[in-house]
Amino acid sequence: MSTQLTPKRSIFEAPAIGQMSMATKIVLYTLLLIWTAFVLFPIYWLIITSFKDAADVNQGPFFLPFVDFQPSLHAWKELFVTDYEDTLRAYFNSIIISLSATGLSVLIGSMAAYALSRVAYAPNLITILFFIFLLAMTGVSIGIYGVDWRLAAAVAVALFFFLARAVGNLYQFRLHNGDILFWIISQRILAPIVVVVPIYMMFQTVRLLDTHIAIIITYAVVNMPIVVWLMYDFFNSIPRDLEESAQLDGATMIGTFREIVLPLSRTGLAATTLLVMILSWNEYLLALFLSTTKAQTMPILVAAMNAGERGILWWSMSVAIIVMIIPVVALAIVLQKYISKGLLVGAVKG
Amino acid sequence: MTAETIQNASPTTGTAKAISIRDMNKYYGAFHALKDLSIDVEAGEFLVLLGPSGCGKSTALRMIAGLESISSGELLIGDQDVTEVLPKYRDIAMVFQSYALYPHKTVAENIGFPLKMAKATPEEIDSAVRAAADQVELGELLDRLPGQLSGGQRQRVALARAIIRRPSVFLMDEPLSNLDAKLRGNMRAELKHMQGELGITTIYVTHDQIEAMTLAHRVAIMKDGVLQQLGTPKEVYSDPANLFVAGFMGSPPMNFITGKITGGQFAGSGAAFAVAGAADAQSVKVGFRPEDCRIVDKGAGLLDADVFTVEMTGDQVLVTLRLQGEPLVVKMHKDFEINAGVTAGITMDPEHLYFFDGETGARLRTTAQTS
Repeated sequence: MSTQLTPKRSIFEAPAIGQMSMATKIVLYTLLLIWTAFVLFPIYWLIITSFKDAADVNQGPFFLPFVDFQPSLHAWKELFVTDYEDTLRAYFNSIIISLSATGLSVLIGSMAAYALSRVAYAPNLITILFFIFLLAMTGVSIGIYGVDWRLAAAVAVALFFFLARAVGNLYQFRLHNGDILFWIISQRILAPIVVVVPIYMMFQTVRLLDTHIAIIITYAVVNMPIVVWLMYDFFNSIPRDLEESAQLDGATMIGTFREIVLPLSRTGLAATTLLVMILSWNEYLLALFLSTTKAQTMPILVAAMNAGERGILWWSMSVAIIVMIIPVVALAIVLQKYISKGLLVGAVKG
Repeated sequence: MTAETIQNASPTTGTAKAISIRDMNKYYGAFHALKDLSIDVEAGEFLVLLGPSGCGKSTALRMIAGLESISSGELLIGDQDVTEVLPKYRDIAMVFQSYALYPHKTVAENIGFPLKMAKATPEEIDSAVRAAADQVELGELLDRLPGQLSGGQRQRVALARAIIRRPSVFLMDEPLSNLDAKLRGNMRAELKHMQGELGITTIYVTHDQIEAMTLAHRVAIMKDGVLQQLGTPKEVYSDPANLFVAGFMGSPPMNFITGKITGGQFAGSGAAFAVAGAADAQSVKVGFRPEDCRIVDKGAGLLDADVFTVEMTGDQVLVTLRLQGEPLVVKMHKDFEINAGVTAGITMDPEHLYFFDGETGARLRTTAQTS
């Protein structure tokens, strides 16, 4: 009797499949199958559509290749043989831009996050406002009044260095790390559409429209808040004791970072990289404004296919989307082992 | 133990160094966390910094380690002024309260980390790791990760990592506080043995007076950033410098009665008795330790009080009495019997009475205690 009273597992422990009753198993697997179909069907549809002719699409729906319709390679041929230059250019543009933008924002963003999590900053609000004011005035004097930029910059720098402290002493209100962090994250609250025209004009002025650099810089800046936000939390979860201990054990600053901080933040970096990579890879709006032909990315190419003279090219679009999905899936598989490991890091208390 | 035998007993070489703390201060903005701390620690000495939480003892330790800057004052390790020196050049090892083991490194890698940073060869590291691990009895766990170890084993890894480099100074920040009571007792004994064997100057921070009494050559008792008393465990226990030290040391703590002394007579709340050799004072606290007094019949002792509770702890009986609402604890032999609610007398030898200024808490010595 006593064995029946003892619970076999605690309430938060997942039940083993073998211990379930047949009815539970049937319900469970049915639900799982429905969900699987729900998730995978769009991908299946995408794949068969890429092998369809215009007639198969318009007279459909046809579900089974060789039964409902005769698959053809015409869409694949068009994209990779006839128009291969456009396709490959967009593809490589996407790869170069996403990789560079991700690398840049993860590198700078995680350095900022590390500093915010380890150093207590207390900048004076008035000094910051003074700096912004001078920056704006410099811009106005150069842009509107045609002052020589070297002169304007020199005057601004001089004014800042002479007056910063005096102005700061007017009102002693200091910002703290939480304020800085909120300010960085708040950059992401704004919808990108709001700033897209200024960004366009800015790159137009410096003649960088339709270049990789323009899109890379824009993506890196736009994604930086996400990196800082995620990595700040992550670095905070690494006990400070570990770094102090490493320093007492004779490690240099770089040694501490390489031996302790980097290995422990691998999980967070992997997850953040994947997220930022996906965001850059799929970005449409900013790329639409900043690129015309040379720097065109995959989302733009796909979108262009439903606006041509020949109507909506579902088959070509499917091909483009399939090749677009592949790198992201591959990256997710590579990074997955690091991400799932993340659950263990917190379990090991310094 | 001479320096030579110390060196022979250890896997790597190194000699214990004296530490000299001179007028050390720490400010956090306007907050004065540590006030004019001056202590000379002898080479090979085991010094314990003892005090309640927030008394500045951990701050002082972190300043000696170099993890906190020294606002003013000087710190010397050996003959070298290290006030402005980076932690890694101070030749110290520290055991943290959290152990601070690197969770992604194995036990062997954790222990060998200081040598790896010192650019030792893999063979040197390997043999030193084995020696250190044997010393703390961790030999068979070298391939595990810290997450797979128990609290006591993690503690040993932290110790092995501290001793492997054979530093001149050990710093320990409440290293035993995360262990359960039994393990804490064992580790305390092992720590003491190991420190004696290696002869390394050690500064140990704790809020546990038992640890302080058992481990220390000398105890430094701190409160609110100020050093209250520095002395051997016996000195701080039997000759406390002020009211705080007297009340902090001892378990159960010292009993106090407030009153005044006029012409060799103490008159306080509910008690009046003769105190030979004590100078007149308007406000005074009289203290006596629970183990220095005895319960006698009503009227036969120095004062009478009502028995409040009787607690049997196994090896002794703790009797709590109330004197006008203030508790007084008396330690009696385990066979002692008394009922709660009765009135009893308390007596003690006059030399076991301690007098403190009621306002400042400073010790007031009788003529017998001064000599």
